[in-house]
Amino acid sequence: MTALLETRNITQRFSGLTANSDVSISVGRGEIVGLIGPNGAGKSTLFNLIAGAFKPSEGTILFDGEDVTALPAAERCQRGIGRTFQVVKSFESMTVIENVIVGSLVRSTNMRDARRKAHEVLAFCGLDARADVLASDLVPSEKRRLEVARALATEPKLLLLDEVLTGLTPVESQKGVELVRRVRDTGITVLMVEHVMEIVMPLVDRAIVLDLGKVLIEGKPTDVVRDPKVISAYLGDRHAVGA
Amino acid sequence: MDKAFIQRRRRDLVVAAFLAAIAAAVPLFVKDVYVQNIMVLTLMYAALSQSWNILSGYCGQISLGHALYFGLGAYTTAILFTKFGVLPWFGMLAGGLISALIAMALGYPCFRLGGHYFVIATIVIAEITLLLFQNWDWAGAALGIDIPVRRDSWLTFQFTRSKLPYFYFALALACVAWFVTWWLEDSKWGYWWRAVKDNPVAAESLGVDVFNSKMGAAAVSAFLVAIGGSFYAQFVSYIDPESVMGFQFSLLMALPAVLGGIGTLWGPMLGAVILIPLTELTRSYIGGSGRGVDLIVYGGLIIAISLARPQGLVSLFSRKPKPAAQPAREAVAS
Repeated sequence: MTALLETRNITQRFSGLTANSDVSISVGRGEIVGLIGPNGAGKSTLFNLIAGAFKPSEGTILFDGEDVTALPAAERCQRGIGRTFQVVKSFESMTVIENVIVGSLVRSTNMRDARRKAHEVLAFCGLDARADVLASDLVPSEKRRLEVARALATEPKLLLLDEVLTGLTPVESQKGVELVRRVRDTGITVLMVEHVMEIVMPLVDRAIVLDLGKVLIEGKPTDVVRDPKVISAYLGDRHAVGA
Repeated sequence: MDKAFIQRRRRDLVVAAFLAAIAAAVPLFVKDVYVQNIMVLTLMYAALSQSWNILSGYCGQISLGHALYFGLGAYTTAILFTKFGVLPWFGMLAGGLISALIAMALGYPCFRLGGHYFVIATIVIAEITLLLFQNWDWAGAALGIDIPVRRDSWLTFQFTRSKLPYFYFALALACVAWFVTWWLEDSKWGYWWRAVKDNPVAAESLGVDVFNSKMGAAAVSAFLVAIGGSFYAQFVSYIDPESVMGFQFSLLMALPAVLGGIGTLWGPMLGAVILIPLTELTRSYIGGSGRGVDLIVYGGLIIAISLARPQGLVSLFSRKPKPAAQPAREAVAS
């Protein structure tokens, strides 16, 4: 069985700065994969390339066996790639349910179906009590959940989560972890960018560590955190010697 | 599922039908031609503003050049009628279609412009077209077109003895513009437009075709505005570039919506009902001698409302009270 998502030799340059260089990763169906690395490692760039925010300078992106490198973001969404944003981008003048309906309209043009689907997704994400509240009136943790709900409403095969667990209280992030697990249990593959290791490591099946725009190492989370290269990337060489 | 929502949609329809019925009855009691004239204009601007609101309110693409489509509607009807003997009803349709096509042709490059640049482009394009028409001899140039008055007839949509037919047409147009908005509001397009307005990047990530959303909004909006322009040409039976394509029309389409509540279903109606009679009355009662006193009143009103009610007057009737901080905290804790 082919991987759901595969990047082949992705290189992304921003006028002189190489944010990703020769990145080849793959994500299998039903996996939760963590994309981690220190600040400036190129996580967000790779993430945005997969979501279709822009096209890579070099390399190809395969989704579900097809080349999607040149497809715009909207079309990738239709193919089954859903995403959230690190800095939340709610539709502020719309209510919570309306925000989610925008997502569910990708799959159903019938308004009644779209609305029903949106309610289901809100219930799944624990936001149903807030359905008729304006998105601008949500507290930050709710806005994060709304981002996830909106993306889930598009019925993705692959859900890209960009630091949805960062900056939450321990209780909130625990609920976030549970939500991600439940998402995976419905058969959706998850690729998540995080830099808080303690939260991600118990959650993911596999971790891919980026550093300086390249894949440093990938493997089981327990192995990855012990790897001297990872420790040195995060903390500097001095600490790696001790490990 | 979601009874409250369906009820709200139905209530909007019922209220609209009720208001339309009342409006239809008003001329039975108000016989004064001057007042009737104001009513016709109020309804016409309500329809125009409602149409403007589709592109600029719902989809968030602020146009200050909609006078272009108003003028195109007026000119298409007048030229087809005077030069080719085409009945204004067909002229109206032609004007609407031409305007919708031009709106899309202009949107193709202009929708790539962001924010203020888009607004500036709309103003400039409307002004350039105004200049073109002022110099286009075949279309009457600066002198304009005089629509020959024949017998009063619905066929040629001309009435010299009574304003009532115009009144009812303007009422129908306002109802149509309102209904189209009502209908689109709970459609894929309505959601797409609002998503595009609020955050185009997020909209794109949810599968929204941002560019075509804008194009669709522009076409619908321009079509309806052009119908208004066609109507106006018949109503005044004489048009020249300045009197149907001047910048003031662009403003008078935008202001009622802004005042009443931009991007809302009722805002343009409410704004027009307050603003247009006020404009006409101040102009005739205090505008004559003091030259511009009416504009001061007008400007004062806009400042007052933007300070007191930046979301527009329609927010006074808001159905959903702003949720207090209390439930928000509960939801987090739960």
